[in-house]
Amino acid sequence: MKAANHAFVNHMLVYTLVAISLTGGIGVSSVWMRHEISVTANTNKALEARISQVERLAQQTSTWVAEEQDVTALLRRNAEWHLGMVPPREDQVVRMSEDPVIHLASKRDRGLFRGGIEAVSFRVALQR
Amino acid sequence: MSKGFASNYRIVLIAGLVLLSFAGLGSRLVWLHVIDRDQLLSYVQKARRQIITSYARRGDITDVRGAVLATSHSLIVLGVDPQSERPEDRAKWSKLAQLLGMNLADVEPIMTTRYRSGATRTAGSTGPGLAPIYRISVGPSPAAAPAADPASDDDSETVLDDPDPQGKSPIRWAKLSDEVTEPAYADILKLGISGVYGNRVYRRTYPGNTVAAHLIGYVNRKEAPVTGIEFFADFYLRGHNGWVESEKDGHQRELAQFRTREVPAADGYTVVLSLDATVQHIAEAELQAIAERYQPEKATIIVSDPRTGFILAMANYPTFNLNEYNDLRGADERKMRNVAVADMYEPGSVFKIVAASGALDAGIVTPATTFDCTLEKVDYKGRPRNLPREDASDHFTHPLSVAEIIAKSSNKGAAQLAMRLGDERFYGYARGFGFGEPTGFPVGGEPKARVFSLYVPPPSRWDGLTITRMPMGQSVAATPLQMHEAMSVIASGGVLLKPQIVKQVRDTAGEIVYRFDRVEVRRVISERTARTMAHLLEAVASAQGTAKEAEVPGYEVAGKTGTAQKVNPDGHGYSEHHHVASFVGFLPAGNPQVAISVIVDDADARTPGGVAYGRVVAAPAFKHVAEQLISYLDIRPPLARATSVLALQGGRP
Repeated sequence: MKAANHAFVNHMLVYTLVAISLTGGIGVSSVWMRHEISVTANTNKALEARISQVERLAQQTSTWVAEEQDVTALLRRNAEWHLGMVPPREDQVVRMSEDPVIHLASKRDRGLFRGGIEAVSFRVALQR
Repeated sequence: MSKGFASNYRIVLIAGLVLLSFAGLGSRLVWLHVIDRDQLLSYVQKARRQIITSYARRGDITDVRGAVLATSHSLIVLGVDPQSERPEDRAKWSKLAQLLGMNLADVEPIMTTRYRSGATRTAGSTGPGLAPIYRISVGPSPAAAPAADPASDDDSETVLDDPDPQGKSPIRWAKLSDEVTEPAYADILKLGISGVYGNRVYRRTYPGNTVAAHLIGYVNRKEAPVTGIEFFADFYLRGHNGWVESEKDGHQRELAQFRTREVPAADGYTVVLSLDATVQHIAEAELQAIAERYQPEKATIIVSDPRTGFILAMANYPTFNLNEYNDLRGADERKMRNVAVADMYEPGSVFKIVAASGALDAGIVTPATTFDCTLEKVDYKGRPRNLPREDASDHFTHPLSVAEIIAKSSNKGAAQLAMRLGDERFYGYARGFGFGEPTGFPVGGEPKARVFSLYVPPPSRWDGLTITRMPMGQSVAATPLQMHEAMSVIASGGVLLKPQIVKQVRDTAGEIVYRFDRVEVRRVISERTARTMAHLLEAVASAQGTAKEAEVPGYEVAGKTGTAQKVNPDGHGYSEHHHVASFVGFLPAGNPQVAISVIVDDADARTPGGVAYGRVVAAPAFKHVAEQLISYLDIRPPLARATSVLALQGGRP
């Protein structure tokens, strides 16, 4: 009778320890999982903050670029840096109805032969 | 066998203790999770829950080529929690002051003033002249951040805690600067001064300063759009704020893992205008030149594409700087008025295009039909009517053809053309050209329809002289934009087009969300009549016309001068010393690509001769603007077509 009692108690103790271990393990796992969730969430948050920071810097830079591209600012720079750029006068403009690339190419080619072609000879090898 | 440790007594005791412990824990858990649940949850909610708003960035306004006219960029409102001051940081204050562009003497009081007595929670403002602010998501504050979020009120100089028993309120945040750039903020953070931190905000900026100020409008310090495109297109520009529901720890830091709901902010769309910043600059530079030379009361230049009705430039004098709108006080506020859209004036001789076009369109005259322009009176509807005087310099000794009436701007001729048409038909054509009704232009504060109807009255309200005066642009009033649109009717081939300024709306990815297209209001005159009128108007800008000064060599310029006397301040009669000078036209006449209006109000004082004629004040400005646009917009003269044909036939271009 006593042996049966002891066996029951031993079993109960063992099962209790196993249950505590399992519960503890689950608890530790869930804590670890929540920690990982927290780390991931904070990493995401940091990434979001970084992205928004980069976007803000890009916006800031875009604003500076826009300010410098303003016509008044460009004219001021032209004067400050003595660039001497002026808009073309109408009499300086040549209006073309053809493709300007072809026009410029033909203009260059005309220049190549401006000196005239005195003689062109070709050596021809004849096969017998 | 030894009983060992596991005696009955001890086993029962241990088992009992274990069970008792579990029972205790269980009952406590039941107590916390069931019985006290609501109360404890409310504590947690109150202490830990938070909703973080992420503010949308307002969209940009760009011109037709993508040049940014209005944008929002990030700045930091920097402040300090004086309660966090550490003696070891004092050595860094001079560097901080240097980074902020302030004197150390100005920084020290802000850093060291810890209490304010008898103060309200917030005080002060960001000061006049500052552009409006848009908050964006509040970044992580330092551990010593105050309970009150300074970003919740950007206008505040300080944030105070509740007063202590002595009535002194601890300052938890005092503003140091509200214009700290991101790079400067990074340098400030590197100093590691305790309690110094900032909140990021969006600030509206207008890179062009005065460029198209009356069209773009501005956003005030309360983030409300006030005028211009900012107001008209606010629905597209403003975007929608987002928010995050989450929890915070004891240091007010967000616990990102407890985010439950997250709605991202949707930034505002980009509004693309039909305006071209370079054309706008050309118009504004010309206005500035007019202002320096003649010092008029006001002036305006409008440039548009007559084929579509889209506005390329609308410049007004006086003007203002959009980034300093808040500096305008009292009388200076009139600088914000969009003269081109909001002001009405008697158009003078430019209005003669209505009578001439109407008579030609109705088929009752041809360009060769002649009128005796020496008559003093003409019978009309059974009564003799006095014809208006011609200008002092004009003495016509022979009957004038319709072509000559336009070229030489005969008042008597225009009156007789209108009388040929009759009251109702002439009024019908005037309404057809868009007078007496709003143009529907979305910005600038156009007068209401009932105001327009007062200034273009129906024939039932005319007196005996109206039929002779209205054709020459008296007894009628219009806005500069209306006059511009009326001339554009001829340039567009007889169709009245709605003037438009917004071309597209684009989302943040650059995709077109909405596109505005050409809108025809009505056909006013036939295409043939429009071509004839354009040809007749060419003579105006020639040696035979009234405005040789508007002639552009190699180009067909069509236009009409106007020199309208202003009504005396007492409302009786017309002044001999105050005029509105104008030239409204387009080019090339045979293939109109650009319509230009120059209207200058009261430039008489500085004009040689004391009278600001349209040909003297406005026509040269028209020519100067036209010459620049020819180069910039690559407007080709009609001769170019002949040259092309020549080239095709073997000639050299």
